[in-house]
Amino acid sequence: MRIAVTGLGVVSALGVGVDRNFAALAAEQSGISPEPRILKTTHRLPVGELKLTNEELHRMCGVELKEHLSRTALLGILAVREAIEDARLASDARVGLVSATSVGGMDLTEHFFEEFMADERRGRLRDVRMHDCAASTEAIAAHCHIRGYRTTISTACSSSANAILQGMKLLRHGILDAVVVGGTDALSAFTLNGFKSLMILDEAPCRPFDASRRGLNLGEGAGYLVLQREGEHARDPYCYVAGAANSNDAHHQTASSEEGNGALLAMQGALQMAGVDPSAVDYVNVHGTGTGNNDLSEGRALLRLFGDRVPAFSSTKGFTGHTLAAAGGIEAVYSALAIARGVRYANLRFETPIAEHGLVPEKHHQTACAVSTVLSNSFGFGGNCSSVLFTK
Amino acid sequence: MRCFVGKIVTHEEVQSDLKQLIPDAALRRRMSRVVKMAVSTAVECLGGVAEIPRVDAILTATGWGCLADSEKFLRNLITEQEQLLNPTPFIQSTFNTVGGQIALLGHNHCYNLTYVNRSHSFEDALLDGMMRLADGESRRVLLGAFDEMIPSLETITRRMGWWRHHTAGEGSCFMTLTPEREADSVAQVVQLDFPIEELSAEECRVRYATTPDAELIYCDATYEELYPTRSAARFSEAVQRIKAGTKEVVLYNNCMGMRPTVLVLQWLG
Repeated sequence: MRIAVTGLGVVSALGVGVDRNFAALAAEQSGISPEPRILKTTHRLPVGELKLTNEELHRMCGVELKEHLSRTALLGILAVREAIEDARLASDARVGLVSATSVGGMDLTEHFFEEFMADERRGRLRDVRMHDCAASTEAIAAHCHIRGYRTTISTACSSSANAILQGMKLLRHGILDAVVVGGTDALSAFTLNGFKSLMILDEAPCRPFDASRRGLNLGEGAGYLVLQREGEHARDPYCYVAGAANSNDAHHQTASSEEGNGALLAMQGALQMAGVDPSAVDYVNVHGTGTGNNDLSEGRALLRLFGDRVPAFSSTKGFTGHTLAAAGGIEAVYSALAIARGVRYANLRFETPIAEHGLVPEKHHQTACAVSTVLSNSFGFGGNCSSVLFTK
Repeated sequence: MRCFVGKIVTHEEVQSDLKQLIPDAALRRRMSRVVKMAVSTAVECLGGVAEIPRVDAILTATGWGCLADSEKFLRNLITEQEQLLNPTPFIQSTFNTVGGQIALLGHNHCYNLTYVNRSHSFEDALLDGMMRLADGESRRVLLGAFDEMIPSLETITRRMGWWRHHTAGEGSCFMTLTPEREADSVAQVVQLDFPIEELSAEECRVRYATTPDAELIYCDATYEELYPTRSAARFSEAVQRIKAGTKEVVLYNNCMGMRPTVLVLQWLG
């Protein structure tokens, strides 16, 4: 049974909606700004921030301000709504949601905590009501009229890819007729400081896969796909999800193994499920965070899988920043568009290959390409490595 | 779709020494209370670290995640005004920390996923495990749930009025699942359902029980110990009843504003 991708929705630093995102990617315009404008922090670090306040997002979502939703939920609502409208689902379809997040409602909790720490009777309770991860999923479902089975996944930066994997199973087992899969994460002082404390934030715009890379830029956003069983959809699919796999690097809580063991197993697993030979892959949307560790380890895994015939690849995190749990969803939307529109994206700010593996990503946006098989990688803390294979 | 439950252990039942269960001193030292609680329950369930490589899926479920580490990092961030922070609590605060640490302890590269869906987390992880077993993708699944209560959560939820009707709780519970009956099987899960509306005790019996002497464990939101993955402990209770001779248990879980879930467990026959 083939699983078709029939709807796309995305929000990132590049803007709200598939069209804005694609236009910025095609024009090689990065969404990274020199410092946060919406997020409350003392750090003047580059971020992939959507320049809309929570008040503006409530208005765009058509949600009353008094509902006081977390930014994570608001970003998710915009992307899920776009994906569902795009798919033109039948009114009687059993529609579900598998949503990923790593910060949940932390963007509100951190405001609460400042007052709460001074006096435990203080802090507005409405700021902690959405702390848990399920709260964003429930809010998205309620505002996007999703009435079927829904769940929430959190495996750090690989979360969305795992949501896609679980969505495929729910369709294959007939539990749902259509499933919205992907993830959402807002910028928060918690995560910005977390990555800062790990000393893996670049003080300049990130340079994935470049020898001079100094770390990642944190981003925010949401990306979702509508998946349906082949033959049951109203519109022509963008592409198919042919395979997906999840593997654990089992090396270190935050760092990837030097040889990229988990990454290799995840890519192999996705290809194996699809019954596709590595030589058929036209483009890899790599995880490519811009940290010394990831890009070295992921590059080695690419070499181990593809040998001396590594396909065209790029990291789009130079456009969006690393959007954590949303990354796999946003990049899945980009991967589906790469197949549907025959493009490969630029890997911004790349100049010099990494000495240890010498891999050269796609430097500029390529159009009119024959792209029929795309691999999308997402790796995270806890050793979680996932890879999704899209085919025409 | 059905699966067999092998060994099942709750944190109260862990008897081995922590140093035996988590032999890596460096890993153990960095673990917060809930991570120690959950990982030790998992290892006790498997019968030792050496057994971790024998499972081919590690599924964890938590509604609240690693709260103490999240709070510690948040407090430091505020107190130190975002300067010179210790990354350890941040690293350990992610929801998949327990699943990751189990994989790390046993050098196990298998499928590893964490569900964070409030009071549904355990059932969602179980559904994933059952689908994997049914599809032949896994032969032996480690499934576990955990949640911790910390003083600030108790204070905040007291202000929200939770503890007028409930007592604060926490816990962890791990089990192994297989597609076929094995030597260590103690019960089988024959149904997992996610009804879209609330059901009365009577409706649960009518819809799900296959025998008149089926026992019902009915958990709604009134006057009970409360934490998101409490249904995993209730699942353990259901398994104990089966081991004691009950032939069928229907487990209904409906709390914390989520939709209900229903599980049907049976004896091995």
